[in-house]
Order: sequence, then C-alpha cells, then structure tokens
Amino acid sequence: MEPLAPDGTAGFAGEAMAGERAERFLAMSAVLTGYGRVQLTGTGLTAAYLRAVDASLPGGVLDDLLGAFARPRARAGKRAAGDDRELGGVPAILDDPRLGPVARNVILLWYCGTWTALPDDWHAAYGASRADTTRVVSPQAYQGALQWAAAGAHPAGARPQGFGAWSAPPEPAPSAGAGA
Amino acid sequence: MTGAAGDGAGDGTGYDVVIVGAGISGALIAKRLTTAGLRVLVLEAGPATAWTFDGYSAHLGHFYAAAGKGPESAWPPAVGAPQPDTADVRTGHGYFVQRGPDKYGSSYTRLLGGSTLHWLGVCLRMLPEDFELRSRYGVGRDWPIGYHDLEPYYREAEWEIGVSADVADQAHLGIEFPDGYDYPMHALPASYSDQVLGKAVNGMRVTLGGQPFALRVRSYPAARNSTPRDGYQPAGAVDERVDGQALARDLGQRCQGNTSCTPVCPVQAKYNAQKSLAQADRRNLRVIPQAVASRVLVDPVSGLVTGVEYQHYDSPDSPRHVRRTARARGYVLAAHAVENAKLLLASGLCAGSRVGEGLMDHPALYAWGLSPEPAGAFRGPLSTAGIDDLRGGAFRASHAAFRFDIGNDGWRATTGAPDTSVAAAVSGRRMFGSGLRRHLEETLPRQVRFSVAVEQLASPGNRVTIDPRYVDPLGNPRPVISYRVDDYTLAGMAAATDVYQRVFRQAGIEDHTDPAEGAWFPSATYEGRAFRYHGMGHFAGTHVMGTSAADSVVDADQRSWAHRNLFVAGSGSFPTMGTSNPTLTMAALSLRTADQMIKELTR
Repeated sequence: MEPLAPDGTAGFAGEAMAGERAERFLAMSAVLTGYGRVQLTGTGLTAAYLRAVDASLPGGVLDDLLGAFARPRARAGKRAAGDDRELGGVPAILDDPRLGPVARNVILLWYCGTWTALPDDWHAAYGASRADTTRVVSPQAYQGALQWAAAGAHPAGARPQGFGAWSAPPEPAPSAGAGA
Repeated sequence: MTGAAGDGAGDGTGYDVVIVGAGISGALIAKRLTTAGLRVLVLEAGPATAWTFDGYSAHLGHFYAAAGKGPESAWPPAVGAPQPDTADVRTGHGYFVQRGPDKYGSSYTRLLGGSTLHWLGVCLRMLPEDFELRSRYGVGRDWPIGYHDLEPYYREAEWEIGVSADVADQAHLGIEFPDGYDYPMHALPASYSDQVLGKAVNGMRVTLGGQPFALRVRSYPAARNSTPRDGYQPAGAVDERVDGQALARDLGQRCQGNTSCTPVCPVQAKYNAQKSLAQADRRNLRVIPQAVASRVLVDPVSGLVTGVEYQHYDSPDSPRHVRRTARARGYVLAAHAVENAKLLLASGLCAGSRVGEGLMDHPALYAWGLSPEPAGAFRGPLSTAGIDDLRGGAFRASHAAFRFDIGNDGWRATTGAPDTSVAAAVSGRRMFGSGLRRHLEETLPRQVRFSVAVEQLASPGNRVTIDPRYVDPLGNPRPVISYRVDDYTLAGMAAATDVYQRVFRQAGIEDHTDPAEGAWFPSATYEGRAFRYHGMGHFAGTHVMGTSAADSVVDADQRSWAHRNLFVAGSGSFPTMGTSNPTLTMAALSLRTADQMIKELTR
C-alpha cells in the first residue's frame, strides 16, 4: 500500500493528479519561496495550501495572481522554476496593491504553515471573504513549514533529531553556495 | 472520570489524608504517604485529560494547531477551573484581577499534573545564602530552616523527579553534596550554542558591588531523562488506560530533542507530576479530578480542620456540578501558591496571619542577538545551560541577584521566531525566492537568546486577595493580585543588563534586543531606564513559613500555626526564592512534610 502524505493525499502521485491549477500554484510557489517544485511537493501540503488560499480570498484573486506569474514565466522561456533571477516581473507583482499582499501571504504560508489575515484596507478595496483569518492551516502544515528546514532544525515539538543531536554543529544550509 | 487513579481506597470516608491538588507537591506527598500505608484522597480541580497517552497526545495536537505557541497553548482550561493566561496580561481580562501598579506576568495550569505539564524542567538548588538573606545581607527574610536541613531532601527530590546533572558541575556558590552522591542521570549533552558561547565567555571577569567574579557557561540540572547512572530506571510516559495496559510507558526514557519542553514534551521525557502519582501505592490512593475545593471546614473550638467541601463538575465544558465533602484525619493544601492562598482566604482560615502577602516571581528580561557563527538554534531542550555565577554575593545587600538562561530555541520566546523572522524578511525587507531562503538559512541558526531571571523579595504589598465582586463560573473567588516590581529588583535588572551586554560583546554577538521588535511584555522604569519583564511562572510566598505564628502562616514543616492538622504545601511557603526555579525546592519541602505526616499519622 502506498504511504499517505501527511495531509492524507496519496503523496507525490496524488499531488501530481491535482491538476493544472495546482501545477501553476506550485510553479509560482517555487519562485516565491526559493524552494524547488520537488521539495514543495514533498511536504504533501500543496492541496491543503491551495484550499486554504481559495477559502481565504474573494473569487478570482488567486487566478489573477497565477496569471500574473504565468506571464513573466512565459517570457523566461523554459528556464527552471525557482530561479527568480529570470523573473524581473516578480517585484512588480509584489508591489501590486491587490496581488502583492496575497503573494507575500503565499510565501508565509509555505514558510510558516500559517495563513495571515489580509489587512482591513485590502478587504475594503478588493472584497472580503468567508474565512480570511490568521490560522495554522493544520498540524501537518505547522510541522511541514519550510522555516524549520531553513533553520537547519526541526519543527518544535515534532520530528526530533534524537538524543544529543543538539550537541553537534548545525549542518550547512542546503542552498549554501548554490547561488554563488 | 471519578477515581481516575484507582479506587483502592474506596469512596466513603475513612481516609487518613485529603490532599487538594495533583501537581508536584500533592503528587509527591501522595506517593510517599500511600507507600507508607496511609489512605489518601486527592482532589484535583482540573480534568485528567493527560492521564492516558492518547489524551496527552491530544494536548500535543492542540499545541500544533494553536496560532500562538505560549506556555498555555497545549492546556486549555476547564470552565469550572479557570486559570491565568499570559495573553491576558496585556488585555487585563482573564482569570486574574490585576490591581497593579505593575502587572504580574506569570501563569499556571489547573490539570492533573499541574504546571509541571509545561514547565521547563530546570532543577537548580537554592544557595545556602538564599536561606539566610536577612542575617547575611540585611534584606528579605531568613528561613526557619537552612540549606543543610533541606539538603537530604534535595537529594531525595532529585531522585524522585529524575534529574540529569553532574555534581562536579553543580558544587559551587556554597552548594555542597555529601561524598559519593551524584544525580540519578548524567547531565544532558551541552547544546552546540552552549559550547560556542562557553568558548568565548568562560573565564571572563566582571565586578559586581566591588567583588570580582569569573563567569562560566554551566550545565543546568534538568528534569529530563538522560543517560542513567548505576541502575537508575528513567520513568517514561504515563499511560493510565482503563484496560490497565500502559502501552506508552517505554516512550520518553530519553530526551529526543523535541525543542518544546514548554509548552509540551511530546514523549514525556521531561518529568511531570503524573509520573509520581502513577508510582503511588494505588491500593491506598483515590484521585478525583474535576473536583474544585471550595471551602475548608474548621471546628471552631479546636481549630482543627474537619473536612474539605468540593464541587465536582460533570464536564470540562460545563459549570454543572454537585457539592460534596471529603473528610480525613490530616489535610494538605497543595493547590498552587495562589490557589492555596485563595482557598485559605475564602474559608476564613489562618485569620490574622499574613495569608496572601509576599507574592514573588522572577521578573525576567530577554536579551537576544545574532552570534557571529551558526550556533545551531532551534535544536534541543529549550535551555541546557546558563551563566549563574551572579546568583550569590555581597552585592545582594543593595540589589537583586540574577542568572542568565541560555536558550536553544532562537528568538522564539522573545519575538515569536522563526515565524516573525520570516515575516520581517518578507513584509519588512521585501524579500522572496532564493534570496529570502539564503537570508533565513544564514540568520536563523545564529539566533541567540538569554532569559535574565532576576530575584524578587517578598513585600507585604505584593499579595493575593479575594473580593466578592469577582467570582468564577462555579462562584469561587478569582485571585485579585496587587504587585509592584521594587527598586531592589529593578537595580538588579540594571546590573544584569550591563553584564549581559558585556557578555554579548565578548562573544561577538550582535545585540538585537529591541522591545519594539519583540513580543509585548509589561514594563517598569528605574532611573530613567524602562525594563520589559516577563513572568517565569515562579509564583511564591503567599503562605510564608516562619518561626512563630506572629510572623508567618506555616511552620518549617509547612503546618498551619492556627490549624494543626492542616499542611499548606508548595512555593507559597517560601520566605525567599533566590534565583532558583522553585520546583525542586518545593519538591524537597513536600517530601519533608510527608515524612513529618507519616511520623504522626502512623504512630
């Protein structure tokens, strides 16, 4: 029997079947977070995050954001996602008053496992939604948050490194030197 | 869940002792009395939701899902047994009625197991001079007993709790151990940041009050399971299931490095009071959870306690309850420093004494910075070492002593990192993508944090009272707290700040201490400097012990002067607290009290 990913989907295969929209969400997330598509998929959280974003935003906003990311990607040709040097358009998206706060929230979602409520003035300008509250998406999201990997650590209260591991020096960051 | 811990003692009267509270004091006394053949009833105000490992794990899930990860995040209160929450310190709402002028910043947990469910687990002994503060330095009070009276009980407490440490590290500042003694388990391995800091700091000289001191990063004794000495068997997780199978008992026999002693050790490698309760002689023990003691009954002629009235509620979600009375020969209040005082006051007991007066804490400062090299933050038990050379000295005549806890969890406690570090980079510095990732990989492992625990003396104005205007859903009084951080402590904070800044400079740590960037904490001002302090959960001094009924509530055995079959146990009995976490001393006092009770009740 195929092992289940933490969110109850059938892991990589299940995620792969999640469709073209999830693919675009992953591609955008790779650019925003600096983690590759495989690492993001490996958290098993793509579907849960996509649901959380959809539930937190007025209709159409996420698709507009995905569309905005598709454009500079298209211009960048077939270069790998995750290499944001190609994506001169990203800072412009992050500066966009409507899409920028949402894009930053997607970064926080992957790094912290938490959706952060958008500010009131954003709601006033672009519409409110049912469930735009600050919340940990799920216990799995808390544990799978990228911040723990970035720290060379483990989520507090889960996935411990074992007795005495804390005595050893932290392992060099996986991306150290990668961009040099 | 009546009788959660066994019904061996039946449910009628005929108990030898009724104990109010199933935290560490109540559990240790219950274990010792039942083992001596006495029949004990324990009334616990909170539910027994962590008594099975499945139930305990549900609390862990609560922590994972909580938006804030504070000390209370895994342990929500029952309607019938409300508790303080550090989030309420700012809002002014919640269980405590804070009269000021300063805010009392600490919290506790009302559940079977008490606040040991979320304590850090540090087990420092008090210093010999802490017991003689008035005689030696002309401040505070003296205890009616000294370090040498309590020393045998410190040893017993270290073995009952299961403390990991090496005598070779701990014998300083006048602390002495008998020849041949050592802790039941070897010291936990030092964290990488302890080692990095130690290399930079050890031997560094500072002068305080004209006296020179050499600083050293020293391992902390901790109630976390490590490598055992000489046949000691570490106690693992408690799993008291209805079918009697303790399936999870093998979990937690070593610390795994979950980096979350507070608020919840996922495997119970850290001691909690449920372990002692589970080790009691269960044939002689009955525990009733969800039973809130509301009044202690006294014979008006003899002054002896004749019973404890309690409210037994149906469900943690409901105030619906029935009233009952428990009776025995001897009584112990071990409900917490604040709850003990509250119950004595609500019952009109110990009239004319100083019940409620002398409330203390360790108002503590945070200091945080970035080390020059990766220090391995966010890995390991939350604190494995400290700098504690300034816990004692002649400077205590003029200001408070202090110590530095070295954190292993980055800036989590002080700023909410790593989440807030990510948010600051993304929202503040407009970072994204691989630049963001490199920035976090480069900075998060360098985060260093000290907690600066500062001594506080008992002052009569710092107190717990009750007021009929403020009651909880069962109609019991809510604690009304008056509290002020005085100049003795504030001057200690000023001295501690100067020393930590020197330590940071010596270690090349870039100081990022900025209250505006940290989580909100109350502040107090001294000579134009504002200090943001947080509570360490170290409540003490509300039913102080002393040498006579004129100046204290209990005697050295924690026996009430006014009601001779009533013992009031816990850190509420402390005349001073020094700079030690109170739990180990509280445990030692409890074992001493239990021995005294056994002597009398088995006569």
